[in-house]
This record gives sequence, structure tokens and C-alpha cells, in this order.
Amino acid sequence: MASAINKHELEHLAKLARVDLDPKEEEKLLKDLGSILEHFNELKALDTGSVEPMTGGTELKNIFREDTERENTNQGAGVEAFPEKEKGYLKVPPVFE
Amino acid sequence: MELLRDLTIKKFHSGLLDKKFSALEITQASFEHIKRENPEINAFLSIAEESAVRQAEKVDIAIAKDEEVGPLAGAPLAVKDCILIKDLPATAASKILENYVASYDAGVIEKLKAENAVFLGKTNLDEFAMGSSTENSAFGVVKNPHDPTRVAGGSSGGSVAAVAAHMALGALGTDTGGSIRLPSSFCGTVGMSPTYGAVSRSGIIAMASSLDQVGPIAKTCEDAAIIFNAIRGRDPLDATSAPANYNEKELLEPELAKVKGLTVGLPEEYFIEGLEPEVRHEIDAAIEKIQGLGLKFKKISLPHTKYALSVYYIIVPAEVSSNLARFDGIRYARNASRGAAAEGLTEMYFKNRGAGFGAESKRRIILGTFVLSSGYYDAYYEKAQKVRTLIKQDFDEAFKEVDVILAPVAPMRAFKIGERVDDPLSMYLADIFAIPAKLGGFPAISIPTKSAQALAPRELPVGFQLIGKKWREADILGVGNYYEKI
Repeated sequence: MASAINKHELEHLAKLARVDLDPKEEEKLLKDLGSILEHFNELKALDTGSVEPMTGGTELKNIFREDTERENTNQGAGVEAFPEKEKGYLKVPPVFE
Repeated sequence: MELLRDLTIKKFHSGLLDKKFSALEITQASFEHIKRENPEINAFLSIAEESAVRQAEKVDIAIAKDEEVGPLAGAPLAVKDCILIKDLPATAASKILENYVASYDAGVIEKLKAENAVFLGKTNLDEFAMGSSTENSAFGVVKNPHDPTRVAGGSSGGSVAAVAAHMALGALGTDTGGSIRLPSSFCGTVGMSPTYGAVSRSGIIAMASSLDQVGPIAKTCEDAAIIFNAIRGRDPLDATSAPANYNEKELLEPELAKVKGLTVGLPEEYFIEGLEPEVRHEIDAAIEKIQGLGLKFKKISLPHTKYALSVYYIIVPAEVSSNLARFDGIRYARNASRGAAAEGLTEMYFKNRGAGFGAESKRRIILGTFVLSSGYYDAYYEKAQKVRTLIKQDFDEAFKEVDVILAPVAPMRAFKIGERVDDPLSMYLADIFAIPAKLGGFPAISIPTKSAQALAPRELPVGFQLIGKKWREADILGVGNYYEKI
């Protein structure tokens, strides 16, 4: 496993995650992530070559429902809860610039 | 207040039927008590007096007409603020959802509404249920009712403190790594995280979807069983909720003869040097009492226990980073901190998320983004998923020999406010004994070693943990039930 995250990598991760970080937050995160990742190193020693990953909390498979008509009554509430709307449409800033 | 102190859901129900009091009287007494106590404890983020009073009156009318009412009818409950109740706020204790009002009921709320339960209000938590002390709430820490200089535990600290301080007869919390059981241990309540898939997650603000479960918080195991029985069941709106067959009678009225026949496992990895001596002493005393009931005990080993913390703090941030991607400050609610539309969409996301999320949320989002990023995925995320399999297999092996596993909930009692907040690793360690059962999807409960009445002045509560086989909540609730009667 790789060593701690450096400042450059942290800024890249913050960009991917769309989160503004101020310099103080960056400093604290670098320190915290360093010790957390170091703790994770304990997993390295475990041999997991033949182990199947557990990919979720459930052993259920392929849960389907009947493909029948359903009444959806909650759409209006979703529009209503939206901060800005106009004539039943949701109002957001321009997506393409 | 004296009345509320002695009441349980069970006693409330029989008092209601015997017309010793009305549902309205108890609801009003609860609100009076909340208004007096909550400014100090900070368990509730919002109260819902109008709808609660209306609901209580409805139950009183049904009783006046001699209609049959269920065991939760009129019972005043508290609900963690990451669980949606239509038309009430649901902030998840985050600034980014400060103004959000739920537009539908969570699956568990629909079920409790059908039981005519009374919802007093929404309770405080660590932001998005991420934390072990409720110090990550954007709206202030929850204080431990037994000692206000100490934390109530987290993340369901508000729900637990509300029950422990007699502001509610029972509550709903959510448990991802220990969020119901840890605060229950710190505050002396019963709190259970059910089998993964036993309870619907529809309408729960998701933190880590492969682990999140809603569960009951109560004063007794009997009450916890009543709430669990009401909220369990398959929900078409949650594809991971399972069509399980529970025996209702066994859950609600466990038989001593059957409970006596269970074998209890004691995992050596949980009884370590690092246990606080007071915790060790209390757990040992609880073991002795349960032995007195006639149950057999057996030493077992869960060899991968020590890796659970690392596995959890890789898998959870990974799920957090994707679950929290939906919070952009545009959907759900308007933010005071909102960036100007003129700056463009991307810039707005950065500003809203930067200002809207607290430190722990950002830490997990960044960590999750890291462990999922190309080049690190195999070394961290996939590795953690494989070790998660090994941890689950430990339990599967152990449950061939024993029916329930008894362990501490946490290595320590409630710690001081501020003591661990600057060091995330030391905070994470509080859940070291709570996490493994969750990784495997097993049900687990925290039961106070002593009832609130039996605690000496200033004595801090300690909980012991019972972990059960999947879908066997009846076993852990049953042992707890008879333990409480000793």
C-alpha cells in the first residue's frame, strides 16, 4: 500500500469530490489521513488471495417486482420541496457555459 | 416527571387501558419535561407538538370508544433526524440540510404511524450519523444525562439521551458501526441493531448503505422487542430488506425454558488488556448473573476481530463518498451558504459542499474518494471487502458452536466532551467491539448491566453486548429480557 497522501493528491481528491477546503482544513486532513492510512497497513499482512470479496450487506439476489402499472403520488412533493421552481419546472443555474 | 421516570412502553400501554392516564396527558407531560431538560441535554433538534397532540387525542378517542389499540398506540417516541417523517424537518444534523423538510415517510415511520405511535420530535446525531460522540453534529453536542460533562455517545446520541433522560418512552436510531449500541452503553438504555435486511432503509438518509440499519432504543428489552416487531419486515421500496419469517410470540414473550437452553460464546479477542477496569468488572458481573440463569458458556475465538476497524473505515468512507454526492446545495433545501448562480454550477457545488459539510463528513468523503480511486482500489477497497468476508466467516464458524456471543459494547465508559474530538483514530477506536458484528450483518444489542435505579449517584452506565445469529433477534432479546428480571 502506498504511503500517506501529499498536498497535491489531496487537492486532486477535493477537486474530484467537489469540496472546497481552506488551508487549515487541508493541513488537518493531511495529518489525519496520514495516521488513518498508516493504520490500514495492518491489512497488508493478511493473505486474501482465495477470498471472495463481500460486496454488500445482503445475500439476496435479483430482487424484481412485477412489471405492473403503479401510481406515483409523490412527484409533486418533490417539486414542492425544491428550493427554486417555475411553472412546475426545477430551476438550476446553467449547466453548459 | 416521577411518572415518566417509572414508565416503560409496556407500563404505559396497561396504564392507558386501565385509564390511569390518557395518551394526551403523557404526551403533554413529555413536552413539559423536554422543554425543561432539552436546553441542557440537546437531545432534540426539533419538536412536533401539534401533530403529536393530535395523534394522542386520536388514541384517547379510540380508547374511550373501547376500540382495540396496539402496544405502541399513543406511546411518545423520539426519532433520529436522519429518518424522514413527512412534513417535519430532517437535517441529519448537517448544515447542508438545515432547511430540508421531508416530503414522505420512511418505511419504518409508515409502520409506526399504522400503530398510532406519537412522534415527539427529531433527535440530534453526529452529522449524517458519522461519529461516536454526537460531537460532529452541526447543532451542538448531546450531553450525557448521567454526567453533563461527558458525551452521550453517537451517532444516535439524541435518541438515546431522550430515552435515558425520560423525555421519550422509546426511540428510533440507526446503527452503521455502533451508532445505537455505543450511546446505549454510555447512557444506560437498551439499543439494538437488527439483522441487516430485517428493517426497511427506505426514507433513511443514507450513510453507508451496506451497513445502515434502523433499530429500537428503549428502557427495557421487552420495549425494544415491541418497537422492533413493529418496524421489521420487507419493504418493496428497499430491495435489500428481506422477507424474513419471524415468530412474533417468541420475540414478544420469550420462554425461560428456551432461553436457558442457549449457549453463550465469550470471544477472547474482546476481553483484552485495554478494557477500562470498571467495564471489565461490570461485564464479568453480568456474565455471572447470566450463568446463574442456567445458560452454558463457552470460550470462542473470532480471529479477524482486530482488522474490523480498518475494514470499516475503508468501506464506510467509500460508501459515504458516493452517498453524499447527492448533496449539492441545490436539491433538498436552499442553503444560506449558497454560492451565486452566476458563478456557474461547478463553482457552486464546491462552495455549497465546502460550507455545508462538517470536518468528519469531509474527512470521510476525501478518504472514500481516495480508496475508490484508480490505483488504490485493489489495495484498499477490494482488500477491505475480502477481509470483511473473513470477519463474517469468523462469526459463521462461532455460531456453529454457540447461539449468542457476549462481549463489551465498548472498551470504555462515556468519555469527557472534547477529549477525543481532535484525534479521529482515538474516536474511531470507541467502536472497536461494535463494528465486527455489523460487518457480518448480524443482530446485536446493548443492554445496561444495571438498571438506572440501581446506579449509584454519579456512577456511569456500562452496557454489555449480545450478538445473535442472523434473524435470531429473539435469542438476544430473550436473554436480555430474563437478565433484566434477575
